[in-house]
Amino acid sequence: MSRLFTVDDVRNCLEGIIPAGLATCGADGMPNITYVSQLIYVDPDHVALSFQFFNKTRENILVNPHATVLMVDHLTVERFRMRLRYLRTETSGPLFERMKAKLAGIAAHDGMTGVFRLLGADVYRVLDIEPVPGRQLPPVALGPALLPALRRSTDALSACRSLETLFDTLAACLDRHFGIEHQMLFLADAEAGKLVLVGSQGYPVVGAGAEIPFGAGVIGIAAREGVPIRIMFAAAEYAYSRAIRDKASADGLMDHLETAIPLPGLAEPASQMAIPVFGCTGLLAVLYVESGQDCRFGYDLEDALVALAAQFGLALQAHRAHAAAEEEEEARASQPPNGTPAATAPAGPPLRVRHYPRDHSIFLGDDYLIKGVAGAILWLLLQDTTRAGRGEFSNRALRLDPRLHLPDLGDNLEARLILLQRRLVDRAAPLAIEKTGRGRFRLRLDRSVELREEADGSA
Amino acid sequence: MSDVVPLAPDLAAYLTSRISVQVGACDDDGFTSVVRALGARVSGDQCRVTILMGRSQAEPVLAMLRANGKIAVVFSHPVSHRTVQLKGRDAALEAATPADEATLGPYAVAMAGHLAAYDVPEAVARALVSCAPGDLIAVSFTPSEAYGQTPGPGAGQRLTPPANPS
Repeated sequence: MSRLFTVDDVRNCLEGIIPAGLATCGADGMPNITYVSQLIYVDPDHVALSFQFFNKTRENILVNPHATVLMVDHLTVERFRMRLRYLRTETSGPLFERMKAKLAGIAAHDGMTGVFRLLGADVYRVLDIEPVPGRQLPPVALGPALLPALRRSTDALSACRSLETLFDTLAACLDRHFGIEHQMLFLADAEAGKLVLVGSQGYPVVGAGAEIPFGAGVIGIAAREGVPIRIMFAAAEYAYSRAIRDKASADGLMDHLETAIPLPGLAEPASQMAIPVFGCTGLLAVLYVESGQDCRFGYDLEDALVALAAQFGLALQAHRAHAAAEEEEEARASQPPNGTPAATAPAGPPLRVRHYPRDHSIFLGDDYLIKGVAGAILWLLLQDTTRAGRGEFSNRALRLDPRLHLPDLGDNLEARLILLQRRLVDRAAPLAIEKTGRGRFRLRLDRSVELREEADGSA
Repeated sequence: MSDVVPLAPDLAAYLTSRISVQVGACDDDGFTSVVRALGARVSGDQCRVTILMGRSQAEPVLAMLRANGKIAVVFSHPVSHRTVQLKGRDAALEAATPADEATLGPYAVAMAGHLAAYDVPEAVARALVSCAPGDLIAVSFTPSEAYGQTPGPGAGQRLTPPANPS
């Protein structure tokens, strides 16, 4: 089929800012017309419409699948008539979730929260798109040119030589080249069904170690469904603080989820977008961007960030593979890294560090620091540094350490160390993880410590 | 066809209150078309509704209306979302009057006011409902069916004559 326009050309009309009109024809041969709050891009030849109530439109398309939509670009006022043919209704899965999230944003925007309830995503084939004459406005550039921004960013990612630089470079590129001020990067722990924050930018604290269960809010849904989720307007039910709490308590996850480290983030984000990051083994991470402004993130930016996330995912995987290769090499060279003695502990009153083995939670003085894998790692580092006088650690030795028989350590060790390092910075703790070479690091103590293993259940 | 029942006065007032209007039509093969209208008026006896639209934008709709007269018109207040759909089977094209032309300015002002609630710039709202000089055309019909379509579970319910908006 040759057509002048595909859905790619008219995506701005699909944002729902100026509602579209939808005409169908009933079994009685009478036309029916309704406003549609949202149309969703599926691919260049398909769109989806929200099915919220069993109404005349629905009755009609089940009898006669042909429909026509009149849609308007909210910036240029370009108008298009799109002839459609109804194919099917999806009631779960990625498209359904994308639509549900977008609908929540539109409902909030229209003051209709709680009225819109998505029953299904009706998928239509686009038969024809015809421009409608009428007065137009010149196109407006809403942000930086995306292709140059994408190119500069992928160049920068390719030049990264360590995992930490890779994380930092992604954040810097989003800020510098795409003008995105508020962003978070989460690593996926598929086995535990949760995401762990490893970096953020644009907030008072990084929030390293904060967690989100799969399925909660735009970030958790992007992870669970493996699909980008984008919201144009503030939608209370997708505000992650609430979504995470609701989801975690519904799933009985509160015990396993890191809830003591607050997520950074805008109190009331208007625009939100979460992009899943994949490698060849599946979901690796989720990138999240937000803004206090409505309609900040459009379809084109979504495309650009999906492309950037793909590059980032491959780089992330390559860095992990490289780190593993280095560990192999180290094993062959068989140079244990224990040679360097720990620096002498600084004078002054010691900091009491408590460890609760049940969930590996760690407290510095009375302040909670972290739990889970990162907590277990830190406890081991503290013990070996203070008691065994060990001055340097290698990733490989740590990975093989029998005391850390933790199921999900696997590929994530280096990322966990970065997370732990950032959490210590966030808390302005008098201890820090410092790299001493490739795959090697030490625990720096700015205060002497007094380690106390606590009995379980007394935390 | 239903008996001709005059529109309830408050419904007539609502239809002509310079709100968003779209028109649907279909051909005998079940294909449809749609156009945005530029206002409406109601006859003195409240039995006939006239919709204004730009001829150049409405061409496919007008062709269908000429062929079978079957029309569906949805009226929606952009802020309150109060929505009503009227249908008729006797739509006829008419020349727009100078008085119709004179309503375009106030209609654009009203629509810009409604859409400002959504931060739609005035220039966008005005372009949305603009009409080139001489392009305006009128379509009149006798409403034979009326439905409340305000979003929600009650949407689509038939308004029993004398028709009242939902």
